Amino acid sequence: MSPALRIGLPLGALVVILIAWETAVRATGTAGLVPSPVNVARAGVALIADGTATRALAGSLQRVLIGFCVAAVIGVPIGLAIGTAPTLDRIFRPVLDAMRSVAPIAWIPMAILWLGVRGDAALFVVAYAAVFPFILNASDAARRVDGSLLAAARSLGAGRALTFGAVITPSALPFLFTGARIAMGFAWGSIIAAELAIGIKVTGQSRAVAGLGQLMVETLYVRRDVDALVFYMLMIGAVSFLIDFGMRRAQIRLMPWTLR
Amino acid sequence: MTVAVLRLAGVTKTFRAPRGGGDVVALSGVDLDVREGEFLTVVGPSGCGKSTMLSLVAGFAQPTAGEVLFQGQPVLEPGPERGVMFQDYALFPWRTVMGNIEFGPYALGVGKAERRGRARELIQLVGLEGFEDRYPHELSGGMRQRCALARMLANNPTMWLMDEPLAAVDLQTRIILQDELLRLWGDGGSAKRSTVLFVTHGIDEAVLLADRVVVMARRPGRIKAIVDVNLPRPRAAQRSSPALAELVGRVWDLIRDEAVRAIAEETN
Ligand SMILES: Nc1ncnc2c1ncn2[C@@H]1O[C@H](COP(=O)(O)OP(=O)(O)OP(=O)(O)O)[C@@H](O)[C@H]1O
Ligand SMILES: [Mg+2]
Repeated sequence: MSPALRIGLPLGALVVILIAWETAVRATGTAGLVPSPVNVARAGVALIADGTATRALAGSLQRVLIGFCVAAVIGVPIGLAIGTAPTLDRIFRPVLDAMRSVAPIAWIPMAILWLGVRGDAALFVVAYAAVFPFILNASDAARRVDGSLLAAARSLGAGRALTFGAVITPSALPFLFTGARIAMGFAWGSIIAAELAIGIKVTGQSRAVAGLGQLMVETLYVRRDVDALVFYMLMIGAVSFLIDFGMRRAQIRLMPWTLR
Repeated sequence: MTVAVLRLAGVTKTFRAPRGGGDVVALSGVDLDVREGEFLTVVGPSGCGKSTMLSLVAGFAQPTAGEVLFQGQPVLEPGPERGVMFQDYALFPWRTVMGNIEFGPYALGVGKAERRGRARELIQLVGLEGFEDRYPHELSGGMRQRCALARMLANNPTMWLMDEPLAAVDLQTRIILQDELLRLWGDGGSAKRSTVLFVTHGIDEAVLLADRVVVMARRPGRIKAIVDVNLPRPRAAQRSSPALAELVGRVWDLIRDEAVRAIAEETN
Protein backbone atom coordinates (compact mmCIF):
# COMPACT_ATOMS: atom_id res chain seq x y z
CA MET A 1 0.00 0.00 0.00
CA SER A 2 1.33 3.40 -0.93
CA PRO A 3 1.95 5.91 1.88
CA ALA A 4 -0.76 8.21 0.49
CA LEU A 5 -3.30 5.40 0.69
CA ARG A 6 -2.12 4.30 4.10
CA ILE A 7 -2.93 7.72 5.51
CA GLY A 8 -5.77 8.51 3.12
CA LEU A 9 -7.92 5.43 3.71
CA PRO A 10 -8.35 5.64 7.50
CA LEU A 11 -8.79 9.40 7.21
CA GLY A 12 -11.49 8.89 4.59
CA ALA A 13 -13.21 6.33 6.79
CA LEU A 14 -13.16 8.78 9.69
CA VAL A 15 -14.74 11.54 7.56
CA VAL A 16 -17.46 9.19 6.39
CA ILE A 17 -18.26 8.16 9.96
CA LEU A 18 -18.38 11.78 11.13
CA ILE A 19 -20.69 12.81 8.29
CA ALA A 20 -22.98 9.85 8.95
CA TRP A 21 -23.04 10.65 12.64
CA GLU A 22 -23.83 14.33 12.04
CA THR A 23 -26.59 13.45 9.60
CA ALA A 24 -28.10 10.98 12.05
CA VAL A 25 -28.20 13.52 14.88
CA ARG A 26 -29.80 16.16 12.63
CA ALA A 27 -32.30 13.77 11.14
CA THR A 28 -33.51 12.57 14.54
CA GLY A 29 -33.49 16.07 16.00
CA THR A 30 -31.60 14.91 19.07
CA ALA A 31 -28.97 17.68 19.11
CA GLY A 32 -28.28 18.73 22.69
CA LEU A 33 -29.09 15.27 24.01
CA VAL A 34 -26.68 13.43 21.76
CA PRO A 35 -23.41 15.07 20.84
CA SER A 36 -22.75 15.79 17.18
CA PRO A 37 -19.40 16.45 15.50
CA VAL A 38 -20.24 20.03 14.48
CA ASN A 39 -21.58 20.93 17.90
CA VAL A 40 -18.60 19.39 19.64
CA ALA A 41 -16.29 21.43 17.45
CA ARG A 42 -18.32 24.56 18.11
CA ALA A 43 -18.27 23.96 21.86
CA GLY A 44 -14.53 23.33 21.70
CA VAL A 45 -13.82 26.60 19.93
CA ALA A 46 -15.89 28.53 22.42
CA LEU A 47 -14.37 26.83 25.47
CA ILE A 48 -10.87 27.44 24.23
CA ALA A 49 -11.65 31.02 23.21
CA ASP A 50 -12.97 32.03 26.64
CA GLY A 51 -10.17 30.17 28.39
CA THR A 52 -12.37 27.73 30.33
CA ALA A 53 -10.85 24.61 28.79
CA THR A 54 -7.26 25.80 28.75
CA ARG A 55 -7.38 26.99 32.37
CA ALA A 56 -8.74 23.65 33.51
CA LEU A 57 -6.18 21.81 31.42
CA ALA A 58 -3.39 23.88 32.94
CA GLY A 59 -4.74 23.10 36.41
CA SER A 60 -4.77 19.37 35.76
CA LEU A 61 -1.39 19.35 34.05
CA GLN A 62 0.18 21.21 36.91
CA ARG A 63 -0.97 18.60 39.41
CA VAL A 64 0.08 15.78 37.15
CA LEU A 65 3.54 17.26 36.79
CA ILE A 66 3.99 17.84 40.51
CA GLY A 67 2.65 14.39 41.37
CA PHE A 68 4.86 12.82 38.71
CA CYS A 69 7.98 14.56 40.05
CA VAL A 70 7.16 13.63 43.66
CA ALA A 71 6.70 10.01 42.53
CA ALA A 72 10.02 10.05 40.66
CA VAL A 73 11.93 11.48 43.62
CA ILE A 74 10.47 8.87 45.96
CA GLY A 75 10.25 5.93 43.56
CA VAL A 76 13.61 5.92 41.77
CA PRO A 77 15.84 5.71 44.87
CA ILE A 78 13.61 3.06 46.45
CA GLY A 79 13.68 1.08 43.21
CA LEU A 80 17.45 1.32 42.80
CA ALA A 81 17.94 0.31 46.43
CA ILE A 82 15.78 -2.81 46.27
CA GLY A 83 17.21 -3.63 42.85
CA THR A 84 20.77 -3.74 44.15
CA ALA A 85 20.14 -5.27 47.58
CA PRO A 86 18.29 -8.60 47.47
CA THR A 87 17.68 -8.41 51.22
CA LEU A 88 15.81 -5.12 50.91
CA ASP A 89 13.88 -6.61 48.03
CA ARG A 90 12.77 -9.58 50.13
CA ILE A 91 11.68 -7.32 52.97
CA PHE A 92 9.81 -4.65 51.04
CA ARG A 93 8.54 -6.42 47.93
CA PRO A 94 5.47 -7.95 49.66
CA VAL A 95 4.59 -4.59 51.22
CA LEU A 96 4.93 -2.85 47.88
CA ASP A 97 2.94 -5.51 46.08
CA ALA A 98 0.17 -5.24 48.64
CA MET A 99 0.08 -1.45 48.32
CA ARG A 100 0.21 -1.64 44.57
CA SER A 101 -2.82 -3.85 44.37
CA VAL A 102 -4.99 -1.19 46.01
CA ALA A 103 -6.26 0.91 43.09
CA PRO A 104 -5.19 4.55 43.44
CA ILE A 105 -8.82 5.62 43.04
CA ALA A 106 -9.67 3.71 46.21
CA TRP A 107 -7.51 6.15 48.12
CA ILE A 108 -9.68 9.12 47.17
CA PRO A 109 -11.92 9.00 50.26
CA MET A 110 -8.87 8.79 52.56
CA ALA A 111 -7.14 11.53 50.63
CA ILE A 112 -10.16 13.77 50.97
CA LEU A 113 -10.38 12.94 54.66
CA TRP A 114 -6.75 13.90 55.26
CA LEU A 115 -6.21 16.64 52.74
CA GLY A 116 -9.67 18.12 52.29
CA VAL A 117 -11.59 18.68 49.11
CA ARG A 118 -8.80 20.52 47.41
CA GLY A 119 -6.25 19.91 44.73
CA ASP A 120 -3.97 18.26 47.29
CA ALA A 121 -6.13 15.17 47.48
CA ALA A 122 -5.91 14.75 43.70
CA LEU A 123 -2.18 15.36 43.88
CA PHE A 124 -1.82 12.58 46.45
CA VAL A 125 -3.70 10.13 44.28
CA VAL A 126 -1.60 11.05 41.25
CA ALA A 127 1.68 10.60 43.11
CA TYR A 128 0.42 7.29 44.52
CA ALA A 129 -0.48 6.01 41.06
CA ALA A 130 2.82 7.11 39.52
CA VAL A 131 5.21 5.93 42.21
CA PHE A 132 4.92 2.19 41.50
CA PRO A 133 6.03 2.24 37.86
CA PHE A 134 9.06 4.20 39.00
CA ILE A 135 9.87 1.71 41.77
CA LEU A 136 9.39 -1.38 39.62
CA ASN A 137 11.34 -0.12 36.62
CA ALA A 138 14.17 1.33 38.67
CA SER A 139 14.63 -1.97 40.53
CA ASP A 140 14.58 -3.80 37.22
CA ALA A 141 17.11 -1.36 35.80
CA ALA A 142 19.49 -1.91 38.67
CA ARG A 143 19.18 -5.69 38.44
CA ARG A 144 19.68 -5.85 34.71
CA VAL A 145 23.03 -4.15 34.28
CA ASP A 146 24.93 -6.53 32.02
CA GLY A 147 27.75 -8.21 33.95
CA SER A 148 29.98 -8.53 30.90
CA LEU A 149 29.73 -4.77 30.28
CA LEU A 150 30.89 -4.17 33.83
CA ALA A 151 33.74 -6.62 33.29
CA ALA A 152 34.65 -4.96 29.99
CA ALA A 153 34.77 -1.54 31.61
CA ARG A 154 36.96 -2.81 34.43
CA SER A 155 39.41 -4.53 32.11
CA LEU A 156 39.64 -1.36 30.03
CA GLY A 157 40.83 0.50 33.10
CA ALA A 158 37.64 2.13 34.36
CA GLY A 159 37.37 2.88 38.07
CA ARG A 160 34.23 3.00 40.19
CA ALA A 161 33.16 6.50 39.24
CA LEU A 162 33.57 5.98 35.51
CA THR A 163 31.83 2.62 35.72
CA PHE A 164 28.86 4.19 37.47
CA GLY A 165 28.70 7.15 35.12
CA ALA A 166 29.51 5.43 31.83
CA VAL A 167 28.05 1.94 32.31
CA ILE A 168 25.49 1.66 35.10
CA THR A 169 23.72 4.95 34.44
CA PRO A 170 23.26 4.59 30.68
CA SER A 171 22.20 0.99 31.01
CA ALA A 172 19.58 1.92 33.61
CA LEU A 173 18.24 4.96 31.77
CA PRO A 174 16.03 3.24 29.20
CA PHE A 175 14.26 1.27 31.95
CA LEU A 176 13.83 4.43 34.00
CA PHE A 177 12.45 6.16 30.95
CA THR A 178 10.00 3.36 30.29
CA GLY A 179 8.99 3.62 33.95
CA ALA A 180 8.52 7.36 33.53
CA ARG A 181 6.28 6.85 30.51
CA ILE A 182 4.09 4.35 32.32
CA ALA A 183 4.04 6.58 35.41
CA MET A 184 2.97 9.52 33.28
CA GLY A 185 0.16 7.46 31.77
CA PHE A 186 -1.04 6.40 35.23
CA ALA A 187 -0.75 9.96 36.55
CA TRP A 188 -2.80 11.45 33.74
CA GLY A 189 -5.42 8.72 34.05
CA SER A 190 -5.80 9.09 37.78
CA ILE A 191 -5.87 12.89 37.84
CA ILE A 192 -9.05 12.86 35.80
CA ALA A 193 -10.57 10.17 37.99
CA ALA A 194 -9.57 12.00 41.16
CA GLU A 195 -10.89 15.30 39.93
CA LEU A 196 -14.14 13.70 38.85
CA ALA A 197 -14.56 12.26 42.32
CA ILE A 198 -13.59 15.43 44.14
CA GLY A 199 -15.01 17.86 41.61
CA ILE A 200 -18.54 18.85 42.40
CA LYS A 201 -17.83 20.77 45.61
CA VAL A 202 -14.74 22.57 44.46
CA THR A 203 -16.37 24.23 41.53
CA GLY A 204 -18.39 26.43 43.84
CA GLN A 205 -15.47 27.56 46.00
CA SER A 206 -12.41 28.11 43.91
CA ARG A 207 -12.41 27.90 40.15
CA ALA A 208 -8.72 28.67 40.16
CA VAL A 209 -7.60 25.19 41.23
CA ALA A 210 -10.23 23.31 39.26
CA GLY A 211 -8.95 20.84 36.67
CA LEU A 212 -10.50 19.12 33.70
CA GLY A 213 -12.22 16.45 35.78
CA GLN A 214 -13.90 19.08 37.96
CA LEU A 215 -14.93 21.01 34.91
CA MET A 216 -16.54 17.86 33.53
CA VAL A 217 -18.52 17.34 36.73
CA GLU A 218 -19.77 20.89 36.54
CA THR A 219 -20.58 20.50 32.87
CA LEU A 220 -22.53 17.36 33.63
CA TYR A 221 -24.57 18.51 36.63
CA VAL A 222 -24.81 22.26 36.16
CA ARG A 223 -24.60 23.00 32.49
CA ARG A 224 -25.75 19.66 31.10
CA ASP A 225 -23.76 20.25 27.94
CA VAL A 226 -23.05 16.94 26.20
CA ASP A 227 -21.06 18.55 23.41
CA ALA A 228 -18.65 20.14 25.85
CA LEU A 229 -18.31 16.81 27.69
CA VAL A 230 -17.29 15.04 24.53
CA PHE A 231 -14.91 17.84 23.73
CA TYR A 232 -13.22 17.36 27.14
CA MET A 233 -12.97 13.64 26.52
CA LEU A 234 -11.24 14.26 23.21
CA MET A 235 -8.95 16.74 24.92
CA ILE A 236 -7.98 14.19 27.59
CA GLY A 237 -7.18 11.62 24.91
CA ALA A 238 -5.20 14.07 22.81
CA VAL A 239 -3.17 15.27 25.78
CA SER A 240 -2.25 11.76 26.90
CA PHE A 241 -1.28 10.89 23.33
CA LEU A 242 0.87 14.02 23.01
CA ILE A 243 2.59 13.43 26.33
CA ASP A 244 3.51 9.86 25.42
CA PHE A 245 4.52 10.85 21.91
CA GLY A 246 6.74 13.60 23.30
CA MET A 247 8.34 11.25 25.81
CA ARG A 248 8.99 8.62 23.15
CA ARG A 249 10.60 11.20 20.89
CA ALA A 250 12.73 12.37 23.78
CA GLN A 251 13.82 8.81 24.44
CA ILE A 252 14.84 8.30 20.82
CA ARG A 253 16.73 11.58 20.83
CA LEU A 254 18.47 10.97 24.13
CA MET A 255 19.03 7.21 23.78
CA PRO A 256 19.34 6.27 20.13
CA TRP A 257 20.74 2.85 21.04
CA THR A 258 17.41 1.76 22.52
CA LEU A 259 15.92 1.85 19.02
CA ARG A 260 15.97 -1.68 17.80
CA MET B 1 63.76 -20.63 26.48
CA THR B 2 62.24 -17.24 27.28
CA VAL B 3 60.57 -16.56 30.62
CA ALA B 4 56.91 -17.30 31.18
CA VAL B 5 54.93 -14.08 30.98
CA LEU B 6 51.93 -15.91 32.35
CA ARG B 7 52.07 -18.79 34.79
CA LEU B 8 49.22 -20.83 36.18
CA ALA B 9 50.39 -22.98 39.07
CA GLY B 10 48.04 -25.57 40.55
CA VAL B 11 45.03 -23.43 39.72
CA THR B 12 41.74 -24.77 41.02
CA LYS B 13 38.43 -23.01 40.85
CA THR B 14 35.24 -24.31 42.42
CA PHE B 15 31.84 -22.74 42.25
CA ARG B 16 29.19 -23.23 44.89
CA ALA B 17 26.35 -24.90 43.06
CA PRO B 18 23.16 -22.86 43.12
CA ARG B 19 20.47 -24.23 45.54
CA GLY B 20 22.42 -26.93 47.31
CA GLY B 21 24.11 -29.88 45.67
CA GLY B 22 27.87 -30.35 45.55
CA ASP B 23 30.35 -27.77 44.39
CA VAL B 24 31.23 -27.52 40.72
CA VAL B 25 34.93 -27.99 40.11
CA ALA B 26 35.43 -25.81 37.04
CA LEU B 27 39.23 -26.13 37.07
CA SER B 28 41.39 -28.59 38.92
CA GLY B 29 45.14 -28.28 39.37
CA VAL B 30 45.90 -26.47 36.14
CA ASP B 31 49.61 -25.84 35.46
CA LEU B 32 50.51 -23.75 32.43
CA ASP B 33 53.42 -21.56 31.37
CA VAL B 34 52.85 -19.12 28.54
CA ARG B 35 55.89 -17.62 26.82
CA GLU B 36 56.10 -13.98 25.85
CA GLY B 37 54.74 -13.40 22.34
CA GLU B 38 53.20 -16.84 22.12
CA PHE B 39 49.88 -17.55 20.45
CA LEU B 40 48.12 -20.11 22.62
CA THR B 41 44.73 -21.53 21.74
CA VAL B 42 42.49 -23.45 24.13
CA VAL B 43 40.03 -26.11 23.02
CA GLY B 44 37.85 -28.53 24.94
CA PRO B 45 34.27 -29.67 25.36
CA SER B 46 31.61 -27.36 26.67
CA GLY B 47 31.92 -26.81 30.42
CA CYS B 48 35.58 -27.79 30.75
CA GLY B 49 36.47 -24.42 32.27
CA LYS B 50 37.91 -22.50 29.32
CA SER B 51 36.03 -19.32 30.11
CA THR B 52 36.79 -19.77 33.78
CA MET B 53 40.50 -19.97 33.04
CA LEU B 54 40.34 -16.82 30.94
CA SER B 55 38.44 -14.89 33.58
CA LEU B 56 41.02 -15.87 36.20
CA VAL B 57 43.79 -14.52 33.98
CA ALA B 58 41.73 -11.40 33.27
CA GLY B 59 41.32 -10.91 37.01
CA PHE B 60 37.53 -11.03 37.07
CA ALA B 61 37.67 -13.87 39.57
CA GLN B 62 40.21 -15.37 41.99
CA PRO B 63 41.32 -19.01 42.04
CA THR B 64 40.08 -21.16 44.90
CA ALA B 65 43.57 -22.63 45.17
CA GLY B 66 46.84 -22.12 43.34
CA GLU B 67 48.25 -19.02 41.71
CA VAL B 68 47.87 -17.00 38.53
CA LEU B 69 51.05 -14.98 37.94
CA PHE B 70 51.30 -12.34 35.25
CA GLN B 71 54.83 -11.04 34.77
CA GLY B 72 55.68 -12.63 38.08
CA GLN B 73 52.93 -10.87 40.01
CA PRO B 74 49.72 -12.49 41.29
CA VAL B 75 46.69 -11.34 39.33
CA LEU B 76 44.33 -9.66 41.78
CA GLU B 77 42.14 -7.55 39.51
CA PRO B 78 41.56 -6.67 35.86
CA GLY B 79 44.13 -4.41 34.24
CA PRO B 80 44.55 -2.63 30.92
CA GLU B 81 47.72 -4.57 30.08
CA ARG B 82 45.50 -7.65 29.78
CA GLY B 83 42.97 -6.83 27.09
CA VAL B 84 39.80 -8.92 26.89
CA MET B 85 37.60 -9.71 23.93
CA PHE B 86 34.30 -11.23 25.01
CA GLN B 87 32.30 -13.87 23.25
CA ASP B 88 29.23 -11.62 23.17
CA TYR B 89 31.44 -8.63 22.26
CA ALA B 90 30.22 -6.68 25.32
CA LEU B 91 30.27 -3.46 23.32
CA PHE B 92 28.68 -0.50 25.08
CA PRO B 93 25.37 -0.13 23.23
CA TRP B 94 25.12 3.58 24.01
CA ARG B 95 28.50 4.38 22.54
CA THR B 96 29.33 4.63 18.88
CA VAL B 97 32.15 2.63 17.29
CA MET B 98 34.47 5.56 17.98
CA GLY B 99 33.15 5.90 21.53
CA ASN B 100 33.67 2.23 22.27
CA ILE B 101 37.22 2.18 20.95
CA GLU B 102 38.08 5.39 22.78
CA PHE B 103 36.78 4.10 26.10
CA GLY B 104 39.97 2.37 27.23
CA PRO B 105 42.33 5.28 26.58
CA TYR B 106 39.73 7.61 28.09
CA ALA B 107 39.60 5.51 31.25
CA LEU B 108 43.38 5.69 31.45
CA GLY B 109 43.32 9.48 31.16
CA VAL B 110 44.72 9.81 27.64
CA GLY B 111 43.98 13.27 26.22
CA LYS B 112 41.25 13.76 23.66
CA ALA B 113 43.39 14.47 20.59
CA GLU B 114 45.67 11.51 21.26
CA ARG B 115 42.94 8.99 21.92
CA ARG B 116 41.01 10.16 18.86
CA GLY B 117 44.11 9.66 16.77
CA ARG B 118 44.74 6.21 18.18
CA ALA B 119 41.11 5.22 17.68
CA ARG B 120 41.18 6.43 14.04
CA GLU B 121 44.28 4.38 13.41
CA LEU B 122 42.64 1.26 14.87
CA ILE B 123 39.43 1.86 12.95
CA GLN B 124 41.48 1.86 9.79
CA LEU B 125 43.43 -1.18 10.88
CA VAL B 126 40.30 -3.26 11.44
CA GLY B 127 38.56 -1.85 8.38
CA LEU B 128 35.74 0.12 9.98
CA GLU B 129 36.30 3.43 8.19
CA GLY B 130 33.03 5.21 7.59
CA PHE B 131 31.33 3.47 10.50
CA GLU B 132 32.82 5.59 13.29
CA ASP B 133 29.46 7.09 14.24
CA ARG B 134 27.41 3.92 14.08
CA TYR B 135 26.03 2.31 17.20
CA PRO B 136 26.75 -1.40 17.77
CA HIS B 137 23.17 -2.39 16.96
CA GLU B 138 23.62 -0.80 13.54
CA LEU B 139 26.58 -3.06 12.72
CA SER B 140 26.75 -6.56 11.31
CA GLY B 141 28.14 -9.36 13.48
CA GLY B 142 31.51 -9.23 11.76
CA MET B 143 31.73 -5.48 12.20
CA ARG B 144 30.91 -5.75 15.88
CA GLN B 145 33.73 -8.21 16.23
CA ARG B 146 36.16 -5.85 14.54
CA CYS B 147 34.97 -3.10 16.82
CA ALA B 148 35.49 -5.29 19.89
CA LEU B 149 38.93 -6.20 18.61
CA ALA B 150 39.86 -2.55 18.08
CA ARG B 151 38.56 -1.68 21.53
CA MET B 152 40.71 -4.40 23.08
CA LEU B 153 43.75 -3.14 21.17
CA ALA B 154 43.23 0.53 22.07
CA ASN B 155 45.10 0.20 25.36
CA ASN B 156 48.01 -1.59 23.68
CA PRO B 157 47.65 -4.65 25.91
CA THR B 158 50.64 -6.98 26.02
CA MET B 159 48.30 -9.91 26.61
CA TRP B 160 45.20 -10.60 24.53
CA LEU B 161 42.52 -12.69 26.21
CA MET B 162 39.93 -13.81 23.70
CA ASP B 163 36.91 -15.98 24.51
CA GLU B 164 35.51 -17.54 21.33
CA PRO B 165 35.78 -14.20 19.58
CA LEU B 166 34.86 -15.56 16.15
CA ALA B 167 32.16 -18.02 17.21
CA ALA B 168 29.15 -15.98 16.20
CA VAL B 169 29.95 -15.10 12.58
CA ASP B 170 29.49 -16.98 9.35
CA LEU B 171 32.30 -19.08 7.89
CA GLN B 172 33.54 -16.63 5.25
CA THR B 173 33.66 -13.78 7.75
CA ARG B 174 35.45 -16.03 10.21
CA ILE B 175 38.17 -16.89 7.70
CA ILE B 176 38.69 -13.22 6.85
CA LEU B 177 38.78 -12.26 10.51
CA GLN B 178 41.28 -15.03 11.29
CA ASP B 179 43.63 -13.64 8.66
CA GLU B 180 43.16 -10.12 9.98
CA LEU B 181 43.73 -11.19 13.53
CA LEU B 182 46.96 -12.91 12.55
CA ARG B 183 48.10 -9.85 10.61
CA LEU B 184 47.37 -7.55 13.56
CA TRP B 185 49.22 -9.88 15.89
CA GLY B 186 52.28 -9.81 13.61
CA ASP B 187 52.08 -13.19 11.94
CA GLY B 188 54.12 -12.00 8.98
CA GLY B 189 57.25 -10.86 10.63
CA SER B 190 59.44 -9.25 13.16
CA ALA B 191 57.07 -6.94 15.06
CA LYS B 192 57.02 -7.43 18.80
CA ARG B 193 54.08 -9.70 19.31
CA SER B 194 51.57 -9.70 22.10
CA THR B 195 50.90 -12.88 24.02
CA VAL B 196 47.54 -14.39 23.09
CA LEU B 197 45.25 -16.72 24.98
CA PHE B 198 42.51 -17.65 22.54
CA VAL B 199 39.57 -19.90 23.45
CA THR B 200 37.73 -21.52 20.59
CA HIS B 201 35.42 -24.39 19.70
CA GLY B 202 36.93 -24.60 16.24
CA ILE B 203 39.71 -27.19 16.14
CA ASP B 204 40.82 -26.05 12.65
CA GLU B 205 40.96 -22.52 13.90
CA ALA B 206 42.86 -23.53 17.03
CA VAL B 207 45.56 -25.29 15.03
CA LEU B 208 45.75 -22.65 12.31
CA LEU B 209 46.37 -19.77 14.70
CA ALA B 210 48.43 -21.33 17.44
CA ASP B 211 51.99 -21.94 18.44
CA ARG B 212 50.54 -24.40 20.93
CA VAL B 213 47.08 -25.85 21.37
CA VAL B 214 45.92 -26.51 24.93
CA VAL B 215 43.44 -29.40 24.97
CA MET B 216 41.23 -29.51 28.04
CA ALA B 217 39.08 -32.20 29.61
CA ARG B 218 36.08 -31.86 31.88
CA ARG B 219 34.76 -33.09 35.22
CA PRO B 220 36.90 -31.73 36.63
CA GLY B 221 38.23 -29.15 34.18
CA ARG B 222 41.91 -29.83 33.55
CA ILE B 223 44.58 -29.76 30.87
CA LYS B 224 44.65 -33.04 29.00
CA ALA B 225 47.43 -32.35 26.52
CA ILE B 226 49.35 -29.55 24.89
CA VAL B 227 50.00 -29.92 21.16
CA ASP B 228 52.88 -28.02 19.53
CA VAL B 229 52.15 -26.52 16.14
CA ASN B 230 55.44 -26.20 14.33
CA LEU B 231 54.07 -24.85 11.07
CA PRO B 232 55.75 -21.90 9.35
CA ARG B 233 54.23 -18.45 9.56
CA PRO B 234 52.47 -16.59 8.03
CA ARG B 235 49.76 -19.13 8.59
CA ALA B 236 47.32 -17.76 6.02
CA ALA B 237 49.40 -19.69 3.47
CA GLN B 238 49.03 -22.95 5.46
CA ARG B 239 45.27 -23.31 5.34
CA SER B 240 45.37 -26.30 3.04
CA SER B 241 48.67 -27.84 4.08
CA PRO B 242 48.62 -31.59 4.87
CA ALA B 243 50.64 -31.01 8.03
CA LEU B 244 47.89 -28.77 9.37
CA ALA B 245 45.23 -31.34 8.56
CA GLU B 246 47.21 -34.00 10.35
CA LEU B 247 47.50 -31.86 13.48
CA VAL B 248 43.78 -31.11 13.39
CA GLY B 249 43.20 -34.86 13.33
CA ARG B 250 45.41 -35.35 16.34
CA VAL B 251 43.66 -32.68 18.39
CA TRP B 252 40.29 -34.08 17.39
CA ASP B 253 41.33 -37.55 18.54
CA LEU B 254 42.21 -36.06 21.91
CA ILE B 255 38.82 -34.50 22.53
CA ARG B 256 36.41 -36.70 20.63
CA ASP B 257 35.46 -39.02 23.49
CA GLU B 258 35.04 -36.10 25.88
CA ALA B 259 32.94 -34.19 23.39
CA VAL B 260 30.68 -37.16 22.76
CA ARG B 261 30.20 -37.68 26.47
CA ALA B 262 29.49 -33.98 27.02
CA ILE B 263 26.78 -34.01 24.37
CA ALA B 264 25.27 -37.19 25.82
CA GLU B 265 25.08 -35.57 29.26
CA GLU B 266 23.56 -32.41 27.89
CA THR B 267 20.81 -34.23 26.06
CA ASN B 268 19.89 -36.30 29.12
N1 LIG C 1 29.70 -18.18 38.03
C1 LIG C 1 29.53 -19.52 38.05
N2 LIG C 1 28.78 -20.09 39.03
C2 LIG C 1 28.60 -21.42 39.07
N3 LIG C 1 29.12 -22.28 38.20
C3 LIG C 1 29.88 -21.78 37.20
C4 LIG C 1 30.11 -20.38 37.07
N4 LIG C 1 30.89 -20.17 35.97
C5 LIG C 1 31.13 -21.39 35.47
N5 LIG C 1 30.52 -22.36 36.19
C6 LIG C 1 30.59 -23.80 35.93
O1 LIG C 1 31.94 -24.15 35.75
C7 LIG C 1 32.10 -25.04 34.66
C8 LIG C 1 33.03 -24.47 33.62
O2 LIG C 1 32.42 -23.36 33.03
P1 LIG C 1 33.10 -22.53 31.86
O3 LIG C 1 32.15 -21.45 31.48
O4 LIG C 1 34.45 -22.10 32.25
O5 LIG C 1 33.18 -23.59 30.72
P2 LIG C 1 33.64 -23.41 29.20
O6 LIG C 1 34.71 -24.38 28.95
O7 LIG C 1 33.91 -21.98 28.92
O8 LIG C 1 32.32 -23.88 28.43
P3 LIG C 1 31.78 -23.36 27.02
O9 LIG C 1 32.60 -24.04 26.00
O10 LIG C 1 30.36 -23.87 27.02
O11 LIG C 1 31.88 -21.88 27.00
C9 LIG C 1 30.70 -25.31 34.13
O12 LIG C 1 30.24 -26.51 34.70
C10 LIG C 1 29.89 -24.16 34.63
O13 LIG C 1 28.57 -24.54 34.86
MG1 LIG D 1 33.00 -20.47 27.69
